[in-house]
Amino acid sequence: MYSYITRRLAYGVLTVFGVSVVVFVVMRVLPGDPLVALFGPEGYTKLSAAERASYMAELGLSDPLIVQYLHWMRDIASGSFGHSFFRSESVAEMLLRRGPLTAEIALLSVVLSWVVGIPVAIVSALRPNSWGDNIARFLSILFLAVPGFWVGMLIILAMLFWFGYRPPLTNVSLLENPWENLQVVIGPAFVLGMGQAAYIARMARSALLEVIREDYVRTARAKGLSGRLVVALHALPNALLPVITLSGILMGFVLAGSIPVERAFATPGLGFAMYSAVSERDVFVMQNLVFVYAIVFVMINMVIDLTIAWLDPRIRYQ
Amino acid sequence: MSDITAPLDGIETIAHPGPWSRAGRALRTFARRSPLSAFWGCIAALIIVIAVAAPALPLYPPLKSDFRAMTKPPTEKHVFGTDQIGRDTLSRVIHGSRASLTIAVSAVVLGTTFGAFWGLACGYFGGRFDLISQRLMEFLQSFPDLILAMAIAMALGAGFGTVIVAIAITRIPFGGRVIRSVVLSLKEMSYVEAARGLGASHARMMLRHILPQCVAPYLILATTHLGVAIIIEASLGFLGAGIPPPTPTWGNMLADSLNAGLVPPWWLVLFPGAAITLTVLSFNLLGDGIRDALDPRLRGSV
Repeated sequence: MYSYITRRLAYGVLTVFGVSVVVFVVMRVLPGDPLVALFGPEGYTKLSAAERASYMAELGLSDPLIVQYLHWMRDIASGSFGHSFFRSESVAEMLLRRGPLTAEIALLSVVLSWVVGIPVAIVSALRPNSWGDNIARFLSILFLAVPGFWVGMLIILAMLFWFGYRPPLTNVSLLENPWENLQVVIGPAFVLGMGQAAYIARMARSALLEVIREDYVRTARAKGLSGRLVVALHALPNALLPVITLSGILMGFVLAGSIPVERAFATPGLGFAMYSAVSERDVFVMQNLVFVYAIVFVMINMVIDLTIAWLDPRIRYQ
Repeated sequence: MSDITAPLDGIETIAHPGPWSRAGRALRTFARRSPLSAFWGCIAALIIVIAVAAPALPLYPPLKSDFRAMTKPPTEKHVFGTDQIGRDTLSRVIHGSRASLTIAVSAVVLGTTFGAFWGLACGYFGGRFDLISQRLMEFLQSFPDLILAMAIAMALGAGFGTVIVAIAITRIPFGGRVIRSVVLSLKEMSYVEAARGLGASHARMMLRHILPQCVAPYLILATTHLGVAIIIEASLGFLGAGIPPPTPTWGNMLADSLNAGLVPPWWLVLFPGAAITLTVLSFNLLGDGIRDALDPRLRGSV
């Protein structure tokens, strides 16, 4: 197990380094001029050559690329993550202020997706091709096709139309005012949760159908265990392993999906900050936020891999 | 061959089946085996036909504003209503399909093809080249795809070509990994060994003997990724990182609707989103059908 952990950690460190290089290449080296990104094409043409040079020097953009990369790494190591071009807030402050809300949304959506997806999969797998199974499969196919942010917009409209209710737009912490916090978080979490539940129900259904055919499940049934206990005690634990892995991969879906969904709900989380960074062409905030999102994604998958290895000895001895 | 199918005296014979009739027969078999996928395939084809024919259809011009009919709910004159500067929503939804489909199809074809050739080279040559390429693809896959596309679209500056490139780059690792694994198993086949024994060059082995076997997984991969590409394109438009307005795309229209007032009018939200859902649904189900028809072993895996 220890050798597996060390290997996986070393691999994670390599990935983090690779990710940082990709972010740097995309944001700094690609042919787009950062000043065009900052000022817009019209604003850029209005700048004189001297102004352009002074802006470039001030932002540290005229240094050699390797120096720029090292400066960026230094900023990250010092914990400040650099500054927004338009706001006084540093990216680190932004992460601390807005991060918890998005983390809450993500966690709640994962919980919702399991609470909805797994029972649906069990009902589906116990009676394949029955009425319930067909409805469940149709719904999961539908939810894979619906853009989450659009569902969010529809939910807001429907709540407003029928109940005259609009979720609060404030950033309150869970500890301060749990009720208001829940109202902010529940909408985005529901939309993202249903999107994931569709994938999870599909995966868990096919995993269960495969496991149910195994010999040990037949043995359990033959010794007289009731169908429900066979599923709960024998089939489900093994069928859940691929679902756990999928849940980790789906974190990408949640992290990325939370950006348009938070925009639809006007939730003051990190996803909304990413949206603002794009619309304000704030290259530096974008660079750091993209990096943070990718790191979170890599870390979660590393933890999931380690969990799976802990649960399933076959993995760690490969 | 020609003397076998030559017309006999006084008897009309069936013509030698050309490529078209063969394709027709394949389509008929497909429709009989999976009628549901065939139905969704027809919907997908209808969406494409409408998108191509949009300029010829009797619609209001998508960019023309009518200041006497601003933010009007659906009426007989404007079936899907109008937006805040009096542009016809039906016309914009239909014209929006042109941009969305063009971008999704070009991005998927570009990204998957590039990835496929890369994967072909990786699987065929192996060794250090393969090792480094695999790491590179993993780095690309460490980003949630929408976030990577956003960053690239932002860095390159918004526009038609840049959005295509941005989405295409997120598709590269998928093409690469699937085709690589296909090539790895093909390489061990005896017919490939036979070709090597006959002294075929690397290029001939790859292009002539291995590549044709990769066509089915390639097609499956491309069709199943179309839906994802459409959603990414719509999300980019919604976040203001896609094609700049006033070009109508479904994402732009949904973003516009948020600017139409404190509460977006329902018809400006409902119709573009429904168009996205219907398109993605039909492409996804068509893709599932194609996958099951071409390679049942891949059911649920690609």
